Amino acid sequence: MVDIFTLALTHGLMAFAAWRLIQRDELDEEGEGQPRSRWLKKRAPTSPAERDG
Amino acid sequence: MLKDLFLLGFIGLLLLLGLKRPFIWVLAYIYIDIVAPQKIGWGLIQSFQLSLITFVAAFAGWLLLDSKYGSRFTFRQGLILVLLAWCGMTTLGAEFQDSAWAKWDWVWKALIFAAFLPLTLRTKLRIEAAVTFVVLAVGTIAINGGIKTVFGGGGYGELRLLVDENSGMYEGSIISTVAIATIPLALWVARHTSIFPRHWTTWAFTAGLVFACLLIPVGTSARTGLICILVLGVLLLRSVRYRFLYAGAASLAMMAAVPFLPQSYVERMETIVGFRGDQSASTRLVVWQWTIDYAKEHPLGGGFDAYRANSFTYNTVVTSGEGPMRRVEYREVTETARAYHSSYFELLGEQGYFGLAIWLLLQGLGVWHMESLRRRFRRRDGDNRSWQWGLATALQQAHLVYLVGAVFVGIAYQPFLFMLVGLQCALWSYVQRVEGREWRAKLAPRSRPVPSTA
Repeated sequence: MVDIFTLALTHGLMAFAAWRLIQRDELDEEGEGQPRSRWLKKRAPTSPAERDG
Repeated sequence: MLKDLFLLGFIGLLLLLGLKRPFIWVLAYIYIDIVAPQKIGWGLIQSFQLSLITFVAAFAGWLLLDSKYGSRFTFRQGLILVLLAWCGMTTLGAEFQDSAWAKWDWVWKALIFAAFLPLTLRTKLRIEAAVTFVVLAVGTIAINGGIKTVFGGGGYGELRLLVDENSGMYEGSIISTVAIATIPLALWVARHTSIFPRHWTTWAFTAGLVFACLLIPVGTSARTGLICILVLGVLLLRSVRYRFLYAGAASLAMMAAVPFLPQSYVERMETIVGFRGDQSASTRLVVWQWTIDYAKEHPLGGGFDAYRANSFTYNTVVTSGEGPMRRVEYREVTETARAYHSSYFELLGEQGYFGLAIWLLLQGLGVWHMESLRRRFRRRDGDNRSWQWGLATALQQAHLVYLVGAVFVGIAYQPFLFMLVGLQCALWSYVQRVEGREWRAKLAPRSRPVPSTA
């Protein structure tokens, strides 16, 4: 029972992470000259990559 | 059977997702190397060469499908390859050929993967994904063991962790060290994740995971684990924002935890202090002495599992009978093939002075590189909020905890250690590349103004 619970929990999270990862272009390529701070990012026009993600 | 299908389904899903982004195959290999799902299942899953399939997929995916932009080969990756070549050489001349080749069989994979991993970790998100998978993979074993410990399934050599065997990552002292080393990485993921929502649920999961990791040394009654917890406790003092609050909370938590610790655990931990009367600890000292002498005779190392050559004869006290009939006898006992129970002596005996030196250099450079990254980002930002500072700190803490645990356990070639090394190389080379570029970009306008495109 404990085994099944643990496997379901962590494997579920890994599957979720993998699913989210494949939808993000930054996984493979990072945009040049992206604003570094989160504050600036909020104000910068969103790139198509971010809108897709 | 159901478990087999579930695990195979999960691996199948990762392989499938890898078709869109081949980097997922690298994550699949990390998962398989840590969790060893082929050991958890019963029949079906064992018939697949999972480790080989994912390794080939990860490597071929990188070689054929992935961009190489940003892939750098660092000095430490070179050291890993030198160590690999050296291990290969000592294996050829090993004293115990059969067991040496059996060990070579998994060691070379761990080393090759460590040299390969940084080449694939070209972006921040990839580094984050790899750390996340390491944390969740170790979490699979740790959460399982943590829950079982709470319900009283623990005891030295008794805690059953997903599999029936007590080897590899599932061995008590090894998983204790690895679980404690994973704590700083888990905290980093919770703080800087861009994969999971930054939400209280992520923190709740992380808190549960950290608690489970802390329970593993209790559940396995591994003394090494307690030492690792203490080391991590001290290391965290260096990095937490509110030191006094942390120190107060940690000591309170420790005092509150003591009454809940099982008696068998407390008794075993007390033997750390009185280790002379403890056989496991005193044979360690004898084996270490033997290894030093062995290295003098075999300065180039005796190959994997060279400890099989040792044998020790000593007297034990045996008492029998009751009251006036009580007899005390001294019996001569000879023990053979005692394992090193220390990674440093494991290296010295198996790979000689040269192998040990390379290994130490590889580890020492990692600690130093992470320290210099911490300084660099602290200087740049004036605080400790950047993800790079956090990751350098977490990797350094994990590494140091592991290196202290390694004094008492033979874990010199464990894939987990080499994943830490690989992640460090990746972070180091990422920062050199990206920050170096930003630094140059900052300097450029002064010398050569670029026309504005806005």
